[in-house]
Amino acid sequence: MIEVEKAGKPAIPIVSGRFDGDAVASSRAFGMPDLKWVVVPRIYRNLAIEECVRQTELAIDEIVKQLTSQEQAKPVEPPKIEPLERFEGSDRFDAAQKMNDEFMKRDLGDGFPLHPPTRATVDALLKGTKLPKDHVVCDMPPGFGIATVEKIAVNAALAGARPEHMPVVIAAVKGLSQIGGQGGKSLLMSTSPQAPLLVVNGPIANDLGINARSALGPGRDNQVNIVIGRAFYLCMKNIGYWYPNQMDMDTIGTTRKFVMCIAENEAVSPWAPFHVDQGFKRDDSTVSIFVTDGELDVQDQGNTSAEGLLKNLAYGITFGTYNLQGKGGGGERLILMPPDVAGPIGEHEFSKQAAREFIHRHANISLGKATQYMPLKGEARVAEKWRFLESLTEEQRLQITVPVLQSPEHCYIVVVGADRAKTAVFPSGPAPVTVGIDQYRR
Amino acid sequence: MHVLEVLNPVAPQRGSVSTLRLTPRPRSLDNKTVGLVWSGTHGGDVALKRAGEMLQERFKGVRVNFYTGGNYPTPPDVLKKAATESDVVIGATAD
Repeated sequence: MIEVEKAGKPAIPIVSGRFDGDAVASSRAFGMPDLKWVVVPRIYRNLAIEECVRQTELAIDEIVKQLTSQEQAKPVEPPKIEPLERFEGSDRFDAAQKMNDEFMKRDLGDGFPLHPPTRATVDALLKGTKLPKDHVVCDMPPGFGIATVEKIAVNAALAGARPEHMPVVIAAVKGLSQIGGQGGKSLLMSTSPQAPLLVVNGPIANDLGINARSALGPGRDNQVNIVIGRAFYLCMKNIGYWYPNQMDMDTIGTTRKFVMCIAENEAVSPWAPFHVDQGFKRDDSTVSIFVTDGELDVQDQGNTSAEGLLKNLAYGITFGTYNLQGKGGGGERLILMPPDVAGPIGEHEFSKQAAREFIHRHANISLGKATQYMPLKGEARVAEKWRFLESLTEEQRLQITVPVLQSPEHCYIVVVGADRAKTAVFPSGPAPVTVGIDQYRR
Repeated sequence: MHVLEVLNPVAPQRGSVSTLRLTPRPRSLDNKTVGLVWSGTHGGDVALKRAGEMLQERFKGVRVNFYTGGNYPTPPDVLKKAATESDVVIGATAD
């Protein structure tokens, strides 16, 4: 609606349910904090038609009022951001606790205790990159906060990061701004639990001790994975304004929003590493951002042939929903393939691309099952080529099988993990972005 | 007594650096064209069409145009068309 207002015409959105907070945050993010809207109590999508009509009728007076109001609304001032904050306590720990209490109240953290971002700590972190502290890395989605190097360092300090982590965090922040349309804005604000996953390739993974084996769990082995991921998440919150119920509108949420930063286990991979697939040199250090929307363990209990391992994996990725816009498709899949799966496949002379093509060929899904999520009648998100589905019976739709992925290029293989053939599959998309880290290293 | 001074982790938003003001509203919707922009989600179309009907009942000579890009966010060309052809626009975030 802001685009319509920019074009010189009055515009109001009807905002449903808890999206009131989203409207406040979005109007600020997109430069029109004065924007007016009308709130109805319940989200329309799953309401019966009669209820959609009823709650709209109750809102019509407010709609008219907002479209014809002659009152000059007082401009909404942006919240003031004090550069420094002071906390007093009986000792250092008490003061730090007061800071944590206050930051928790303002939802600036992730729920765990935060490290105080003192001037000295932030200055130490700034020494980890060659960029000046006032350099603007990007306007960070979804709320388009101005991501200076110093703001990134402050959030890295909150997370307990070290100076040598800074180039990875900066590259990840930059990468997020390059994902999808308008920086992945609408995706991050979705009610589905999309969350970033960071994958580091190249020499810096070993330099920093980023775990490439059992890389996604808690504990000592993943300390660096956790801290870098946490620093990135806190940047998303406090620079990208990814605050729950404001610009992060998840219905249930996900633990994947405790973002992790893992490394590819390049040493045991039979193939070129992922960043080489993305056009970088093997000796480059990079971070790739995947946006994941779920997670599934695909176990293998004894296949030893490449075909057996790959078919099991192909069948394992056939879940989820199918998009009926354009060519259609079930999104993308990030496959974290452990050495005990990747090794035998590579030894049987499957290139990575051949493995992707094999998976694509065998990963078919019932169109009836995968489109059940969306009643087709009256649905705008059905392209003309799929309209014929409306005239079929449910049984007929269930019998149609389609490749779950539009193409082999919609699956990404990264070799990660310890021993044992347990693959982690993530529905994902849009396409990952890979950013070079070396440009930010001192 | 210990004083802890820390830097604020919150960044200013680009949108708060350069803000836009609202477009002046008409005094009445009589003889106006109302654009309804649907994001493609179920129920939003029902709501917008009912709102359009009610405005036609309340005001004289109201014309209603319906627009959709089939999904959200609504594509810029659809929003531009709605803005060009309408006097006021109503949208729905029906997610």
